[in-house]
Amino acid sequence: MSTDWKSFQPLLIPKIPNLHKIDVYEKNGGYKTLKDILTSKDHTPESVTNTVKAANLRGRGGAGFNAGLKWSFMPKPDGGPRYIAANGDESEPGTFKDRQIFEYNPHQFIEGSIIAGYAMDITAVYVYIRGEYRSWINMFQKAVDDAYAKGYLGKNICNSGFDLDMYVHSGAGAYICGEESSLMESLEGKRGYPRVKPPFPAQKGLWGRPTTINNIETLANVPLIMKNGSEWYTSIGAKTHPGPVLYGISGHVNKPGVYEYPTGMLISDLINEVCGGMRGGKKVKAVIPGGSSTPPLRGDQLDGVRMDADSLREAGSMMGTAGMVIMDEDTDMVDVLWRISHFYHHESCGQCTPCRDGTGFLEKTLIKIKNGEGETRDLDLLLDLCTQIEGRTICALADAAAWPVRYTITRFREDFEKRVKKSAFALA
Amino acid sequence: MPEIFIDDKRYEFEGSPVLLQFLLDVGLDHPFFCYHPSLSIPANCRQCYVEVGTPVPNRETGDYELDENGERVIRFFPKLMPACKMEASDGMVVKTHRSSELVKRGHKDVLEFILMNHPLDCPICDQAGECPLQIQTYKYGPEGSRFEHKKVHKPKRIKLGPRVILDAERCINCTRCVRFTEEISQTHQLAIISRGDKNYPATAPGREFDDPYSLNTVDICPVGALTSSDFRFKARVWEMNQTPSIDVTNGKGANIDIWTRDNLVMRITPRFNPNVNDYWMPDFGRDDYRRMNENRISRPEVKVDDTRIKSSWHNAVLTFNEYLSGVNNKEILGIGSAFSSVEDNYALNKLLNRIGVSELVFTPNIEEGSGDGFLISDDKYPNTNGCRLLGLKEMNPAGLNKAISAASVKVVVMMEDDLVGRSVVTAEDLKDKKVIYFGSNNNETSKLADLVVPITCSAEHTASYVNVDGRIQRTIPAKETLYTNRKLNLEMSVGRLDRYATKYDNWSSDDNRIDCVPAWEFIENAAEQSGQPFNFADARDVFEDLSKSIDAFSGITYERMDDELGVVIAGSEKQKVTSA
Repeated sequence: MSTDWKSFQPLLIPKIPNLHKIDVYEKNGGYKTLKDILTSKDHTPESVTNTVKAANLRGRGGAGFNAGLKWSFMPKPDGGPRYIAANGDESEPGTFKDRQIFEYNPHQFIEGSIIAGYAMDITAVYVYIRGEYRSWINMFQKAVDDAYAKGYLGKNICNSGFDLDMYVHSGAGAYICGEESSLMESLEGKRGYPRVKPPFPAQKGLWGRPTTINNIETLANVPLIMKNGSEWYTSIGAKTHPGPVLYGISGHVNKPGVYEYPTGMLISDLINEVCGGMRGGKKVKAVIPGGSSTPPLRGDQLDGVRMDADSLREAGSMMGTAGMVIMDEDTDMVDVLWRISHFYHHESCGQCTPCRDGTGFLEKTLIKIKNGEGETRDLDLLLDLCTQIEGRTICALADAAAWPVRYTITRFREDFEKRVKKSAFALA
Repeated sequence: MPEIFIDDKRYEFEGSPVLLQFLLDVGLDHPFFCYHPSLSIPANCRQCYVEVGTPVPNRETGDYELDENGERVIRFFPKLMPACKMEASDGMVVKTHRSSELVKRGHKDVLEFILMNHPLDCPICDQAGECPLQIQTYKYGPEGSRFEHKKVHKPKRIKLGPRVILDAERCINCTRCVRFTEEISQTHQLAIISRGDKNYPATAPGREFDDPYSLNTVDICPVGALTSSDFRFKARVWEMNQTPSIDVTNGKGANIDIWTRDNLVMRITPRFNPNVNDYWMPDFGRDDYRRMNENRISRPEVKVDDTRIKSSWHNAVLTFNEYLSGVNNKEILGIGSAFSSVEDNYALNKLLNRIGVSELVFTPNIEEGSGDGFLISDDKYPNTNGCRLLGLKEMNPAGLNKAISAASVKVVVMMEDDLVGRSVVTAEDLKDKKVIYFGSNNNETSKLADLVVPITCSAEHTASYVNVDGRIQRTIPAKETLYTNRKLNLEMSVGRLDRYATKYDNWSSDDNRIDCVPAWEFIENAAEQSGQPFNFADARDVFEDLSKSIDAFSGITYERMDDELGVVIAGSEKQKVTSA
């Protein structure tokens, strides 16, 4: 890590009081980057895209795809409307970072969206916010209204001739609508069923028009990159996965919360230094690094594991949304897994067979084990069912449902074996 | 021509067909539920998995990369792919369950999940016997289930609308019905509600599924979730005979299958014809089975001293000839019918022409604005264009009324058309005239007739009809009349493998047979009785005769109608259907 995390000053949510007010944001240099880009001759849409691409800004919504590269997939403008759908659905258990942006630094996200809009010649940005975030939707709507009043949104932004509208859209309580293609369906007023790809959103997205979907936090990073350059940005945090990240840490730590630090933080540092250690000085049993769908890591295998895509892949998990759940040694992994499976069973949209019925099968089998009626063969059955579900559906929710089951059982098998009877015969 | 390799066998294709459709077209059975050739492809059932690979192109040479053995390098997709979402491309390599254990396992896995929450009560399910889920489970499913928990319970017997009932537990969420109302009938009346394994299709609260095409969703439902409230639990599929025919409730002439049991029509379903109705038909066309079964005229009836009595066929023929010969030929009016077939109108016209009566007159039954531009036409009769092509004299209702009520007319011969019921004429107009009525069902007009000749309905004869687009199509008899039987009448149903039943086949039945004949046959009998037979032995003879004498029909045969899914008669498509 090239920067010392202890001296790191937050960039996404700087410690400036009342930053959510547009005057304060402007006073602290806000919207200046935007004005520069829109008015100076040095910047073209291509150069903005290339800078973001060079900064290797990886999506903060879970998949970790290079945002600039994603932008470059958009076809050439043909005069028709083009959209950005900003994903603030944030429904994955353990994830609660975007709402901090809506509450404390909404204008940086708005500025980032406008820059992205300029880079891709966008007509309108739809900000899709989780329906349960009612107060945050109201807060953010206020910020959008302010930006309109100051002329940062609407027609002829900063007298540059560039027009962009921003609409705030409230979700209706479905996890699946955080999946990019069902988010688009939901925005179109339809049932939140993921779409089959191809066609990809960049070819045929909202209302059949080119669309890019970015996470809120991803877009909030854009003004930083444009202001300070891609080289500066790549110097923050892990080499292959640079930049500041909002770590949403929950669970059995002394000081849970959202912390902003560079990527590539040691998980042990996050637990012990940032969050003040484990509650009651207990041992770490398990860490879910990036929201409930990412495979959990064992507490005794955390040495040297850092919060970036490469290190976590090596350790057998994923960065996800950096919504970390820390569990201590008293945790029963059967209960944890049942709760996670219950969530995915409840939230499956029901479009594809393996997920619709498979998630129910998983949960019902886990309830059986939880109630002490399970047998060893049920564990094998669960693993077999995961094979039947993974990679067999339109969207990645089935994977998200199957991975925790597979990896919790394989990594914490002793917890499960304690709860099950020995099978009289093995499952074929 | 581009080539594709399926299970190591080479096939050629044109264009970019959907892989699943291509598999089915070349005769390779493949399981699927949600795919339907006329609807959009959601790829949600995940049943039609295949392994797919494509050759790797070499950017420099433009050819394909080869391995050390000189074989093409094939890059396989890392996951099982649904065949319905793949397009065939040149050099593509496909592995189905025939050559891939993974695909075989994939099919089993999905069926295990589908059956998990699906009631396993085929013996009491109405769909059994024609159920894609049942068939595919036998072919591709797992031997048992590992599911030992409680199934999800959902509402049963929901009346979605006046004609369709839903059993949500049986639903496998293929969304065919929803897509039908969105894409084909475009009423958008159905949507999937709830989430996950509690999903099922429903209407908006307080709304009915009263789509005029609603029953098509019952046909395309791959399980017993949607059933017709009229047909459900009336007959098992394997008890019925399926006979291809034509819908005569409408000028469109949708292609149908008539399903019979014991000489009763149990239901009518659409039959695929891409030139006419695709896979669909309007709901009211299905209700036509009542007309075929109920209120039929059986045995001829004559009026003696104002009393209607049943008569023998011999007496009916004698009476018919007596009426015609008893008056001057100028006093006879022949009325054709756009409801009756080309053959029947032609035979009657030929007979009357021979005794010096001028061409039959007819009046179309057209309700302007009642059609929908899809499968419901303004024209309520199936053969208006046929009558025109035969050269019958088209009149508007007022004109026909005038012609009938003229004092000079003493005998009126009517081909089946309820002119009194349609208010074209009144009982008063027909007073003091001898009325001969050819009809299959009792109606207002038959009540007034002096001689009623019971004729076969469209489910009992071979006959052709020319639809609003000038396409001539024919029916095939689906049920027996009293004097025909399946074995002797070679036009009979081709529904069952053992279709030519003998009296000893336990499914053959003498019940419910109507004592009637095709109109042309009665006319032939009358001609023969008067000593000048036409020598029509069956409907083919009639059609052959008319195709020789009328230019419009020349070169058209029953074989061509069968092979070409109906023949468009040259020039007829320009004949506009108007109410004149």
